[in-house]
Amino acid sequence: SNTKAVPAPLPSALATARVIDDLGRVPYPEGVMSPKIELNINAKDGKFRYDREFLLQFMSICKEKPDMLPPLDAIGLEPTDQASLSM
Amino acid sequence: QEVDMQAQAEGIRTVFNDPTNFNVKHPLYSPWTLWFDSPATKGRNLPQTPISAFPQTPIPQTPGVAAAQGWMEDIKRVISFDSVEEFWGLYNNIIPPSQLPQKANYYLFKEGIIPAWEDEANKNGGKWSIQLPKDKNRANVDKMWLYTMLAAIGETFDPSPTMSDGTGTPPKSLITGVIVSTRPQFYRLSIWTRLAPTASEEDGLRERIEGVGKHFKMSVLGYSEGQKLGGPLATEVEFLSHKDSEKKGKAAKKIIV
Repeated sequence: SNTKAVPAPLPSALATARVIDDLGRVPYPEGVMSPKIELNINAKDGKFRYDREFLLQFMSICKEKPDMLPPLDAIGLEPTDQASLSM
Repeated sequence: QEVDMQAQAEGIRTVFNDPTNFNVKHPLYSPWTLWFDSPATKGRNLPQTPISAFPQTPIPQTPGVAAAQGWMEDIKRVISFDSVEEFWGLYNNIIPPSQLPQKANYYLFKEGIIPAWEDEANKNGGKWSIQLPKDKNRANVDKMWLYTMLAAIGETFDPSPTMSDGTGTPPKSLITGVIVSTRPQFYRLSIWTRLAPTASEEDGLRERIEGVGKHFKMSVLGYSEGQKLGGPLATEVEFLSHKDSEKKGKAAKKIIV
């Protein structure tokens, strides 16, 4: 295996991952629910529908900040201190 | 473990198999764009957005669209995405509605549709909405908005997204976008639809629109069928066409589920 002291930044997996074209052929690990089958009968061209339970499974895994996300303070999207507002 | 081996054999690694080195992602039914505005975005020119950010939708210069352009100047495009994995990367790196400033809005719309009545995709449509008193719902609104977004991107609001609307155009989902708004005293959640039923409609559109409203009320917001929600600062889950919304003051024909 490659153990360089300063590894070159890898392209994010998201940028290189290919789009799933057949949901039925994706083998999910044990304990991970597949999308509900009835939502995707006759689905084609990657036009897939996903139930909430399936989607929620990604929440704790996909945490990487998107490359294209602008600095939030530049668009005025900053958290307000609700504690001080409600006093 | 057996499944993992099978996945490996086929060379398919989802984010569940390998969170940092996955090689497939889950495409969404449609690509989406998140927009944002608040009093603080007004007049800001950084990063410049709306109309210029939409080369793929040439917009005819009608008076309505000119008005929409003025309206869109203060609305900032945050990002576009087209996979489940990208949605969550965004969700985990922006702030939830409960932490937004007052008079702010998130607009999550299908790519190429601007969050304005004047857009081709919206002009014949309407919206389901609910208004919730802020004090009682501060702890709920983030989950309600998350579930609203998930039903939108998962395309489960419209019971038959591939159903034709009977006009001969290719089948399209009824949903164009979803909005959360923060106001000093309340939150509002809205689901915008491509079409709105008219009195003469006999083609099942009203049932289809009502299906969206029921899914919103029960599956997304977690209320029961027939539960009364109106009260001080609160409304029922109600539908109004954009055309009726424009007729301010006149008795508008609302649908309530």
